[in-house]
Amino acid sequence: MALGIGIREGFRTITRNSSLFFLSLLVAAISLFLLSIFALVTVNLYSLVNVLDEKIEIIAFLEEHTNAEDLKTNIIKINGVKDVIYISSETALQNLQKEMKETQEVLKVFEDNPLPASLRIKLQPCYRNAKGLAEISEKVLLLKGVRDTIFGGELVDQLKRITNVIAAFDIGLLLIIVLSVIFVIFQTIKLTIFARAPEIEIMKLVGASDSFITIPFVFQGLIQGIIGGFVAFILTTITVHIATSFFQNILFPRWWFLLGNVVFGLIFGIIGSSIALRRFLK
Amino acid sequence: MITFDKVTKIYPKNWVALQDISFEIEKGEFIFMTGPTGAGKSTLLKLIYKDEEPTKGTVKVFDQNLRLLKKNDIPNLRRKIGVIFQDFKLLVDRTVEENVAFALEITDFPPRDIKKKILDVLTYLRLSHKKFSYPYQLSGGEQQKVSFARALVRDPYILLADEPTGNLDAKSAQEILDILLDINYKGTTVLMATHNQNLIKKVKKRIIRLEDGKLTQ
Repeated sequence: MALGIGIREGFRTITRNSSLFFLSLLVAAISLFLLSIFALVTVNLYSLVNVLDEKIEIIAFLEEHTNAEDLKTNIIKINGVKDVIYISSETALQNLQKEMKETQEVLKVFEDNPLPASLRIKLQPCYRNAKGLAEISEKVLLLKGVRDTIFGGELVDQLKRITNVIAAFDIGLLLIIVLSVIFVIFQTIKLTIFARAPEIEIMKLVGASDSFITIPFVFQGLIQGIIGGFVAFILTTITVHIATSFFQNILFPRWWFLLGNVVFGLIFGIIGSSIALRRFLK
Repeated sequence: MITFDKVTKIYPKNWVALQDISFEIEKGEFIFMTGPTGAGKSTLLKLIYKDEEPTKGTVKVFDQNLRLLKKNDIPNLRRKIGVIFQDFKLLVDRTVEENVAFALEITDFPPRDIKKKILDVLTYLRLSHKKFSYPYQLSGGEQQKVSFARALVRDPYILLADEPTGNLDAKSAQEILDILLDINYKGTTVLMATHNQNLIKKVKKRIIRLEDGKLTQ
């Protein structure tokens, strides 16, 4: 059969059953919107976990008159060290003054700068735990010129445990939402197709092939999915816009969300209508 | 053209619709099928256009055993058989012309000839002035004529009519019978299920009588 007739029939299906079409489009849009919001929370949660993870580091305080450059080269050679940043005592003082304005009065008591120079040691991901921190810190302490080190230790492991639980919970919930969205969209499409069962029956009796009957409905599902996905994306964008006034730095990969919504909508639309039609075409 | 050989049809819950039915219909015949409601008339017709499968026995149409017909070939079978129903079974959201066109669009009929072909059939049925009307704007008789147009537009070899006059007044019923006779005269095999004895008496044609799923005559 000519695809053209199928598409023309699809448009006829949409225009002559517009209320059903819009109902199921609305359901698809709202479902995908809910999914988007949850995906947004997940993306931001993971980015937060990553930021926290990046912050796990060892600070090594240096003896006075130590050659920081030599020490840096030695530390970077240690297994598990990703990067080493030198903070001079002057920079440390400036940072402290910036962070805590009230300390300026206190600092005036000292004639000299009381803060030692230090090295911020960034670690490879697999060493960002209590054991890894302790191991590297031990090696750093052995080096000449290092007065002391500090690191999170057990606190890091506790934090990791909490973030892991939250992440697992979040993924579980996301999975449930994805399944619910699929279920709701499929059921709605099924209802709209069941409402037209007599028509499908007549088409079959007159000798329409399965593809002739299927193409218009699948086309309708496809259009519904694409528009539904697009509407869901717009709703998500508006929500993010409103949310930015409450939370700063919301991570919203706009184009991925647009693509995701439209592709999800399209796939759900096509598969949903094909599955619902199968019952009639047995 | 149509052969039933010891056909039995049993629906779920052991409901026997047809029992050991055998008969043959030759090409070009006109046959009345009669019997009380529930005798199995509609089931028999459904077996011919393969809307149902026989539980036992063989149904042959165009010398082809329908049990061996693949699912993909069912539309082709139905395109060669016109079916008329008591409740017309028209697509309510389409005009008369669109309802008839649909029957051609699903075949390989050249699109540019569709309008001409439809006009011919509607003119023959004296319905061309209603071609832009919707089914709900038509009388029962007119709606039945539309379903005739849909069946005839493909020049079927067999025309099955399931109580085509069941919902019509005497005048419309007579008109429908006249159309069926004329179609038969032009060479189409016609099998008409009815319990309208008046119509049967008017014309001398072979009668298949069903009662409780059995052939009685």
